[in-house]
Amino acid sequence: MNPDNSLKTRREFLRTTMLGGALSWTVPAFLANTFSVLQSEAADSATQVVTGRDASILVVLQMAGGNDGLNTVVPFTNDFYHRARPQIGLSAKEVLKINEEVGFHPSLAGFKELYDGGNLAVIQGIGYPNPNRSHFRSTEIWQTASDAERIEKYGWLGRYFDNACAGADPTVGVNIGRQMPQSFSAKNPVGISLDNPENYRFISSDRNHKEGTTTEESYRKMNEPEEGMVAETGADANAGGSIGAISGTTAHSGSALDFLERTAMDAQVSSDKIRAISRRVENQASYPQSQLATSLKLVARLIGGGLPTRVYYVSQGGYDTHTNQVNAQQRLLKELGDSVKAFTDDLKAQGNLSRVMVMTFSEFGRRLAENANGGTDHGAAAPMFIIGNKVKAGLFGKYPSLAPTDLVNGDIKYNVDFRSVYAGVLEGWLKTSSAPILGRQFPPLLCA
Amino acid sequence: MLKSLPNERWNFTTAAHLLNRAGFGGPPSEIEQLASLGPEKAVSSLIDYEKIPDHGTNPEWAKPDPTRADRLAEARKADEQTRRQLLQAEQRTQRQRGVELKHWWLSRMAKGSRPLQEKMTLFWHGHFATSSEKVRDAYLMWKQNDLFRQQATGNWLRLLIAMAKDPAMLVWLDQAQSRKEHPNENFAREVMELFTLGEGHYTEKDVTEAARALTGWSYDRINQQFIERRRAHDDGVKTVLGNTGDLSGEDVLEQIVAQPQAARFITAKLWNFFAGEDPADDLVTALADVFRRSGNEFKPLLNVMFRSEEFYASSIIRNQVKSPVQWLVGSTRILERELPPPFVCFGLTRNLGQDLFAPPNVKGWDGGLSWITTNNLLARYNEAALLVQGDTSMLKGMNIAPNPAVNGQLQNRLQNLRLRPVEAVKILTEEERSDKGKLIAALEKRLLQAKLSEKQEQTLQEYLNSQSNLDEATILNAIRLMMSTPEYQLT
Repeated sequence: MNPDNSLKTRREFLRTTMLGGALSWTVPAFLANTFSVLQSEAADSATQVVTGRDASILVVLQMAGGNDGLNTVVPFTNDFYHRARPQIGLSAKEVLKINEEVGFHPSLAGFKELYDGGNLAVIQGIGYPNPNRSHFRSTEIWQTASDAERIEKYGWLGRYFDNACAGADPTVGVNIGRQMPQSFSAKNPVGISLDNPENYRFISSDRNHKEGTTTEESYRKMNEPEEGMVAETGADANAGGSIGAISGTTAHSGSALDFLERTAMDAQVSSDKIRAISRRVENQASYPQSQLATSLKLVARLIGGGLPTRVYYVSQGGYDTHTNQVNAQQRLLKELGDSVKAFTDDLKAQGNLSRVMVMTFSEFGRRLAENANGGTDHGAAAPMFIIGNKVKAGLFGKYPSLAPTDLVNGDIKYNVDFRSVYAGVLEGWLKTSSAPILGRQFPPLLCA
Repeated sequence: MLKSLPNERWNFTTAAHLLNRAGFGGPPSEIEQLASLGPEKAVSSLIDYEKIPDHGTNPEWAKPDPTRADRLAEARKADEQTRRQLLQAEQRTQRQRGVELKHWWLSRMAKGSRPLQEKMTLFWHGHFATSSEKVRDAYLMWKQNDLFRQQATGNWLRLLIAMAKDPAMLVWLDQAQSRKEHPNENFAREVMELFTLGEGHYTEKDVTEAARALTGWSYDRINQQFIERRRAHDDGVKTVLGNTGDLSGEDVLEQIVAQPQAARFITAKLWNFFAGEDPADDLVTALADVFRRSGNEFKPLLNVMFRSEEFYASSIIRNQVKSPVQWLVGSTRILERELPPPFVCFGLTRNLGQDLFAPPNVKGWDGGLSWITTNNLLARYNEAALLVQGDTSMLKGMNIAPNPAVNGQLQNRLQNLRLRPVEAVKILTEEERSDKGKLIAALEKRLLQAKLSEKQEQTLQEYLNSQSNLDEATILNAIRLMMSTPEYQLT
């Protein structure tokens, strides 16, 4: 790697941290320590420059619960589809047509508009060999990019941070929510979680303070690790956790105290910056009212404020539609399409849309046949969406065959391995080699 | 393996560890009391809780509601608008009771006379993770909680059978809808994957066959109780885990519990909950052996665990991340203060990632390090200010409830909320309140039962030095600061 880059990163980090911090707070020795160690580690790896102004940004959007792909990108002319779904099937009149064979769910007007504007790619028939139908296990497979038969300790984004972002600011990965997604779990953990930027700070107990040291100054000092601590545990402690409503255990190899100390430092370093940005930057588009929209609004402000983040993570839950699917999915997909559309409008107004790519995923699709309760049960392959103005819009992959002889246990069969999509995003968008991150070379599916 | 801790190692630190893990911790006086008993009597004082009277009362609505089914039927028949109003009213009632229920349980943990019984109830709630989000009936949630409590340290098979017939569970994992024409596999799968054996110790065939055997175990909505529907039961021949015959639900559960893996699975999970993560293989073998020899009874197992040298290893003591419930209940106990009001407790625990009666999914809370994110750590530091100083500013703007309308109402109630701060005079002697060094030492003993790092102690000392006098406000700030450290999150 270029040593200048690492120095630049280091200076950038120290400078931004100092500016964000309280005036009385000087850069502690442990930060300098961190960087000398991380810098030497980074010397062997393809570390990327992280600044908040020029690098490309990936927004991962998890649709938790297993979205019914068949009613999202609908094969509306297919007889097998209508035969298997007499109650919940969508007709040619209802769908928003992409072409003469497939169309978006009627609630996805936002996606249709993005598609027509050349900003959305639909990748059809995504999955993986030997699909698992457990929410937890299948989510874990997607989060760690593992084979179905293998347990991977770290997440695919965590491995990206390890391989390509050593020495980066902890905000290189930002999860909107209370729990870390398992995909962030890494050997050398970075990434922060936040829910509400106003409360993402130490709130002083002595607001009418007149004399002496403040509680905030003392809090800062008491939450700085001992000198040398970070150098020893930096490569071992770990981050990770639950993903939206579906959990994954945190991997680690240091003690619980090491982990807590590291998290405390990351919290301190990131909180001033994030609050400053979220106060300074305003949204420039009107969003619908939903949890997902609130998350994306915050992401847009953090991007606008130049947080040096490469990966944002947001999630939307509720897709486990075993009963009365029609109403639930209608509401969820409307939220999804409208929120993402508003998000892209916002980024466009900021002038940042060309730096941002949104990628959706869900742990599995659902059965071809509807069940007796007006819903669908856990299935396998489903589509993914990639959104951004550098995206090659259009349909990618092939719609899986719905013919009874082509189904596996009642499920449609995947055509594209999801890790090919990850490889395409890593190589084509984040500009890093995918094989060290995904464990082997998958043929990259490039949509940008 | 599992040799008893020698008497000479029984002291304030080991007694504190026992009270922290087998209960929810307590003030120094309680720890000293346990320390004076010696290990055998100390463990017995927690484990033989049947001898201790329980004066707790149940929520007044904790009984079947004979009019509920009629009300719901009435609502279904009504016109669209009336129906919506009736259902909303019903939901409001259930939601209100849900908040009361959480507080009722937290109060039992914080002030009840049987801490281990409540700690085991918490273990079972995380294990059989059932959520009111789907069950939507506070009475059923209470009833399941009471079942955990009544059978907290009893027999494994008996508890499993009771759980399989528990109304909230029947609804939660769809067993109520399972009939021989369409067996529902949800409960049959989770009972093996998550409750008893773990993935890889049964086959898909075992799941489908067990589901057939369990058909007919259902839920009677009118009387809000378990019902066996004989005509829905599949009485054909099934094979589950090598056992063939016209198996019933009981037969299947008995066969599961008889697997050697069943004893390993549940004892490892208990060790993980009470002691440390990922117990070594030979430790699990020893624990499972104790469990099986006692006829799959939990009390003898817990007795051996809490007496064992392994439980008091230095790698175990103060190396567990407090769960949000442990953090909240434990903090009120060591600060000797009341729990905040019900809707505040609801907000506090939910904000830290553990909403009682609403686990994220059937796997329960992941626990351990996953309790901690940058967000949740800062939230703990700010909630400490609420408990110590009665400072409610961190609740403003917090999404206390998931529903925006409910959240708005709660935010309104916050306007008038005044919380009492901790009383320094209650928890510190006059000497400790006037000498900075003694103050720090006393707080370390009370809050951590361990020392802060030298640098942290020094920072705290500097803070105290910079204040013109050691008044109540300064002392409370010092307490809040000590709770706003990585160290305080451990137990």
